[in-house]
Amino acid sequence: MKRQKVTALFMTAVMAASLLAGCGDSNEQASGAGQSAAGEAGSAGADEGGKKEIKEFTAFFGVPGSEINDDNEIQQIIAEKIGAKCKETWLTGQSAEEADGTLIAGGEYPDFIGSSGRLLDAGALVALDEYLDNYPNIKNFYTDEEWDKIRQEDGHIYWIPQFGNIWEKDMTTTHNDEAFWIQTRVLKWAGYPEIKTMDQYFDLLERYVAENPTMENGTPNIAYTILCEDWRYFCLENAPQFLDGYPNDGSVLVNPETLTVADYNTTPTAKLYFGKLNEEFKKGIVDPESFTQTYDEYIAKLSTGRVLGMIDQWWDFAYSVNDSIKVQGLEDEGCNYVPLPLTISEDVKNQWRATSPDGTLNATGGVAVSVSCKDVEGALQFIDDLLSPEIRRLRAWGVEGVDYEVGEDGLFYRTDEMRMKVADTAYKASHLCSYSYFPQYGGLDADGINAASPGEQPKEFLDSLPVNVQECLQAYGCSTYIDMVGTNDEPGPWYPMYSYSNNMTTATPGGTAWIKMGEIKHEWLPKVVMAEDFEKGWDEYMDVYAACKPEDFLAEMQEELDRRIQLAEDSKAE
Amino acid sequence: MGKTKQKENNQRTEITWKEIKRQKVLLFWAAIFVVYGFIFCYVPLAGWLMAFQNYKPQLGLLHSEFVGLAKFRQLFEDAAFLRVIRNTLAMGVINLAATFVMAIVFAILLNEVRSKWGKKSVQTISYLPHFLSWIIVTGILHDALSSSGIINELLLKSGILQQPLNFFAHPKYFWWIVAFANVWKETGWNAIIYLSAITSIDPCLYEAAAIDGAGRWAKIRHITMPGIKPTIMILLLMNVGNVLNAGFEVQYLLGNGLVKSVSETIDIYVLKWGISQNDYAIGTAAGIFKSAVSIALIVIANQLAKRAGEERLF
Repeated sequence: MKRQKVTALFMTAVMAASLLAGCGDSNEQASGAGQSAAGEAGSAGADEGGKKEIKEFTAFFGVPGSEINDDNEIQQIIAEKIGAKCKETWLTGQSAEEADGTLIAGGEYPDFIGSSGRLLDAGALVALDEYLDNYPNIKNFYTDEEWDKIRQEDGHIYWIPQFGNIWEKDMTTTHNDEAFWIQTRVLKWAGYPEIKTMDQYFDLLERYVAENPTMENGTPNIAYTILCEDWRYFCLENAPQFLDGYPNDGSVLVNPETLTVADYNTTPTAKLYFGKLNEEFKKGIVDPESFTQTYDEYIAKLSTGRVLGMIDQWWDFAYSVNDSIKVQGLEDEGCNYVPLPLTISEDVKNQWRATSPDGTLNATGGVAVSVSCKDVEGALQFIDDLLSPEIRRLRAWGVEGVDYEVGEDGLFYRTDEMRMKVADTAYKASHLCSYSYFPQYGGLDADGINAASPGEQPKEFLDSLPVNVQECLQAYGCSTYIDMVGTNDEPGPWYPMYSYSNNMTTATPGGTAWIKMGEIKHEWLPKVVMAEDFEKGWDEYMDVYAACKPEDFLAEMQEELDRRIQLAEDSKAE
Repeated sequence: MGKTKQKENNQRTEITWKEIKRQKVLLFWAAIFVVYGFIFCYVPLAGWLMAFQNYKPQLGLLHSEFVGLAKFRQLFEDAAFLRVIRNTLAMGVINLAATFVMAIVFAILLNEVRSKWGKKSVQTISYLPHFLSWIIVTGILHDALSSSGIINELLLKSGILQQPLNFFAHPKYFWWIVAFANVWKETGWNAIIYLSAITSIDPCLYEAAAIDGAGRWAKIRHITMPGIKPTIMILLLMNVGNVLNAGFEVQYLLGNGLVKSVSETIDIYVLKWGISQNDYAIGTAAGIFKSAVSIALIVIANQLAKRAGEERLF
């Protein structure tokens, strides 16, 4: 009897527990609901009790970023001037697709959102075209032709591309894109040699670590690491296109003469490149943790200054890594990175950087207003105000006398102390507010003398450049990072093709193939690099790769290429 | 013999108004749980409709096009899905066996500790990891198992390895790392229920055994084990139904491209296709499949228990 009772008691307890657990499981797919609730508070946040009404908006961007403090000083100054502020949130841990997917599943969005094809498909974005005429700063941000490019198939404008818009004159100093990066100490040690090919690059790294196994403080050097986490595995996979002298179309090669697409995953160069990585992996030059490290671990590793080289996009590592190298005093050791535009052999002309002089309009994405926003006009007014000259300067330069000084010639500059301060993470969070994923200008400030941002101010750029980078650039006869890689014009009106493939879904055979190819590459490229027998590993990889039907994908890309070329010809004819 | 006796015990009370009145408080509380269960467990099942549609969020459940079983067919033609079923089952079974055995062994060992203070502190310390979230546990694991982590350090210093071993680069270790993580996190917590079952065993039995000359080992075998057997059976049954819940966070957080073929579970598949690729239908279909298998497993296990004359759920 007693036994029965005890058991019954347990059963009730356990059943109750499992009931709760069970519910948790079945709700799994809707788990995004909580996250998006944040979007609601925003538009209604007008404070009636206060003296001045400050509207509070919310924003989410599907990229990693650092949240700033709620009492951020410049954000507050801007809010008092324009009567609105915006709480920005960024990706944490999940991928952009997952974040969008959870928002869509929940059906609640923040006021502003970084646009994507799937958000548009889900009906989450507000059409902006009928409003635009009321907001001159936004309207003038692009020409009518450019706005037409941003229109979707239904003729409406849903987002405002925020980058690449140049005011008056291009002042770019930094190679913001992908390259093989190398620490200046390696180049200095070798007497600043010309490094043009992948083989020369790895040869240099090998010789350097052989002679300098550790840093000055005894930390072992890592010759070459590869970031391979989730979508960031482009650091491993897309080099073959650049090595063959093609620009970053991202998913295919476009032959500018025959106007046909080709696959860079199966070229002889691809095999050479992965074969080289395999060889270097066996020699211990490639970091053995490459394929298992997370993005955070990768950044932490780079921040210690022990990694000599890697492939990456500047924006993916430089901001956090350069600042921590500066704060730790590792600049004197030469731990900053400079880009090298490598190719597979010396006779191939590199196109690591391809851009047009007025800036590249990437019409495929931008900041959008979501259907959950209760005050669309207020939201657009906010963007409009952010583009006014005074606010632009606050966003990019900060507060006069605190973050920059004005010289007698009217040119802005920063003191060393200011430069140190703005590199500090805590200061950035409490003081600076650049609203970095809202529309902004590059090039010149509205005054026509200064650059739009400190990084582009020629003198400020040079003065703030770490000494080791200055020496290195000088040794190569360059004045900016850009000069290290050179600049090419955009290859044609289709560029960049990734803007199409990025939005492909399983709805078409090509999209399904594209997603499967990604899956296979993600798994197999590390395997190939680590393979005991490279030839065998490569052949196996090619077999499973072919099974994804890349030809379906290429066919759809060819269609899109033809469509884009046709579109460009039509608009020229008009 | 045992069977007839049990039947007598289970004899049902007739439902009469008088009986209902007598139990009104109980019924009231039960009703609350029924309502809760209905709202949170049954209403969301309407979403299962998605699996039979070519579901598009902007059209909604009411206007999406019905496609019958096409999504299920697509699911079972996908080699990746068959692989995630294998992974889920394998990790589920390994986890179940490991955490289950460890919890029982741990509870019995702990019960044998004589010092009350020692027992309490070990118990408290051992169940603390249960309250850590997986992101922290996987962070610790990632550090501990990295090339310069404590495990490699120990293996190198003791001469077992010459070169640091990158544990996360080899598919063959992955399931065991996951099982280890589960054991580390949940053993203490799971042991609590067995410990309380042991406490409820009549002390007279132990005294009687001692008088008969039974040592510790004999007492464990002949009194403790049979005493907690009903609890073990019930928990085993419930856990069998949970085998396909082999986990999501731990595999998601520890996985990487190299071990993808063994690390992805059904839940990750659902996330990847349902949420990331916007194909809600296929995600739902995979979820339904998982539920169906879980129900089947629990019914089968229950029948087996019934035949063996053991405790059971229903």
